[in-house]
Amino acid sequence: MKRKKGTSLLALMMAGVLAVGMAGCGGSGNGDSAEASASGESGDSGDKSTVTIWATGSDNVRQVYEALIEDFNSNSDYADQYTAELQFMLSGTGTQSMTDMLAAAYQAKQTDTDYDLVDVGGDDLSALISRVGEEAFVKLDDSKIPNADRVSAQSSLAADYVQPYRGTTVVLAYDSETVPNPPQTMDELVEWMKEHPGRFAYNAPGTGGAGDSFARTSVYNFLPEEAMTSDDPSWEDQWDEGFQFLTDIHQYMYTSGGSIVYPNKNQGTLDLLNQGEIDMCPNWADMVLSQRADGTLKDTIKITQIDPAFTGSLQSLAIPTFGSNEDGAYAFIDYMLTDAAQEILVKDMAAIPLVDTSNLDMTGYEDVMNLDVSNFRIMSIGDLGTDFNARWDSEIGTLG
Amino acid sequence: MSKKMKTNLVAYSMVLPAFLVVMLTVAYPIVTAIIQSFQDGETGSFTLANYTYFFTDKAQRNNLLYTLYIVVVTVVIAIVVAYLLALYLRFVKSKISKTIGMLYLLPRFVPSMCAVYAMITIIRDSGLINRIGQLFGVDINLGMMYHASGIITMNLWFNIPFAAMMIAAGLGGIPDSIIEAASDVGAGKLRIFWTMILPLSLKDVVVAATFVFMSNVSSFTTPYLMGGNAPKMLGIALYDQFNRYMDYNRSAALSVIMFLICSISAAVYIYTNLKENDWEK
Repeated sequence: MKRKKGTSLLALMMAGVLAVGMAGCGGSGNGDSAEASASGESGDSGDKSTVTIWATGSDNVRQVYEALIEDFNSNSDYADQYTAELQFMLSGTGTQSMTDMLAAAYQAKQTDTDYDLVDVGGDDLSALISRVGEEAFVKLDDSKIPNADRVSAQSSLAADYVQPYRGTTVVLAYDSETVPNPPQTMDELVEWMKEHPGRFAYNAPGTGGAGDSFARTSVYNFLPEEAMTSDDPSWEDQWDEGFQFLTDIHQYMYTSGGSIVYPNKNQGTLDLLNQGEIDMCPNWADMVLSQRADGTLKDTIKITQIDPAFTGSLQSLAIPTFGSNEDGAYAFIDYMLTDAAQEILVKDMAAIPLVDTSNLDMTGYEDVMNLDVSNFRIMSIGDLGTDFNARWDSEIGTLG
Repeated sequence: MSKKMKTNLVAYSMVLPAFLVVMLTVAYPIVTAIIQSFQDGETGSFTLANYTYFFTDKAQRNNLLYTLYIVVVTVVIAIVVAYLLALYLRFVKSKISKTIGMLYLLPRFVPSMCAVYAMITIIRDSGLINRIGQLFGVDINLGMMYHASGIITMNLWFNIPFAAMMIAAGLGGIPDSIIEAASDVGAGKLRIFWTMILPLSLKDVVVAATFVFMSNVSSFTTPYLMGGNAPKMLGIALYDQFNRYMDYNRSAALSVIMFLICSISAAVYIYTNLKENDWEK
């Protein structure tokens, strides 16, 4: 008898727990905005001297921002007026992304948040623009950014609303000991692959931007230029020729354990290059150069760009309309375009500076000067990227 | 009655926190995942397509078979080696066995990421073994990177100490006296092993095997860093569905499939644990 009562009590508790659980989740449709508002409004939005900068990316982005903000707060012309603070979100940790939070805050019609200034670029920018539109950002008034004159590079998207401050691009990294004369064009690269089977690798698309860039440009070289910046699904019908090309060069790729391998992550191919298992791979200019400067890559590894180029991207700053310190945000943008800030960007992350480099100390980063941001090939295909990776996985990844 | 009721309430209130945590963090997500796995991603209506995809798509079916292959090979080799190791540690008393007894658990304390990278630097085609070979003028290319053999080697590194530890604990429970008694009445070493030691330790062997099996079905770090592009182990295939294709319904279906594979071995584990050996009664 006792036992029975116990069981029914247990059942009651279980039912209760389930009900609570369900209810908790039923309301989760609004979870995004609720969370965003909590973090957005908890800042010191009334304090006009604080400007909060939001950035996302790998840890090197956090490090460079910490250095920049320290310099801004202590040495810059604006040091007396504003205190900059960093809100950094490490990418790839599975939490809500910064673009989600911004879109949610905008759609919930929040005002006076601490999203004073945001660091956006590449896919994040195109995703934001397609979700909330340009009008989520303040149209930039160049008279408030005196240093903007020093930068000629323009964002391909929302050019009036975002201010580019650094660039990076995928390049061809090669070991100059084994490849004295690197290829200059894609055709020459393919010739080289055929003469040196197994000595080239690109990382599997979806595991790192370098492999994405190689595979996507290989396919989009067969498409009209306007396709590069379109997320119209009808372009997918024209991918066939490019995928055939990727299938054709498959046999010349890096081999291990008797089959062709596309390593995971940008670092995967870079390690192979450093170990001498391959002679060439596409990779990010900043990754190669900063690792070479740190001594983790051999000195003989050099970078070059081929024609048609791999894709690059400009990283920009934008002021959300729902922030609370517009003047402070302008001040920080202006600071980012000074020689001091640009030099920190070069030294700390091998970024490509957007101002004239003649006044910058480029020791150790001379390669960066040869990468011209005006020739950058920008690619933003939005959600087509997901389909692209899925098709690559099923057609190329399974060739073995 | 009321006193007993009170004791009951106290007992339940002590269980309640743990119970709530389990319900909210384990039971509830499982239920929602199962529901989601039967839903169409666009319309939310009932469908079996998420499941049929993993058994009809050639690449996905290969992933499944590849995972089972790696896991079964890992289990068999790990258990055999671990059993021999445990036997040695239990029945050979020497300085060497004592030293091994202290050292064999060391891999458990090395972070898995470090261990995987250490293994990679040794076995890769330009790794330590290759470089030692080059000193003698031989070019050794093991081809273990991005290949099943590399993943299995790494799995063994992780699982042999673990399995040996469990089996050794079981063997430690066999009293010396019964072995001495058997040999006093003339039983040979082999006979003692077959009729006494093996049956007495079989339960621990099965338990160790189920644990090794379960932990490897869903492994991620090792196949991600050491595996090739296709076929992939299910942990990576799940990561692809979830993080790269953002297909949450298929992710849920694959999770359920992996859950079912693991529950086979969980069933074996529970059965072995519940079944009392004749001599234990």
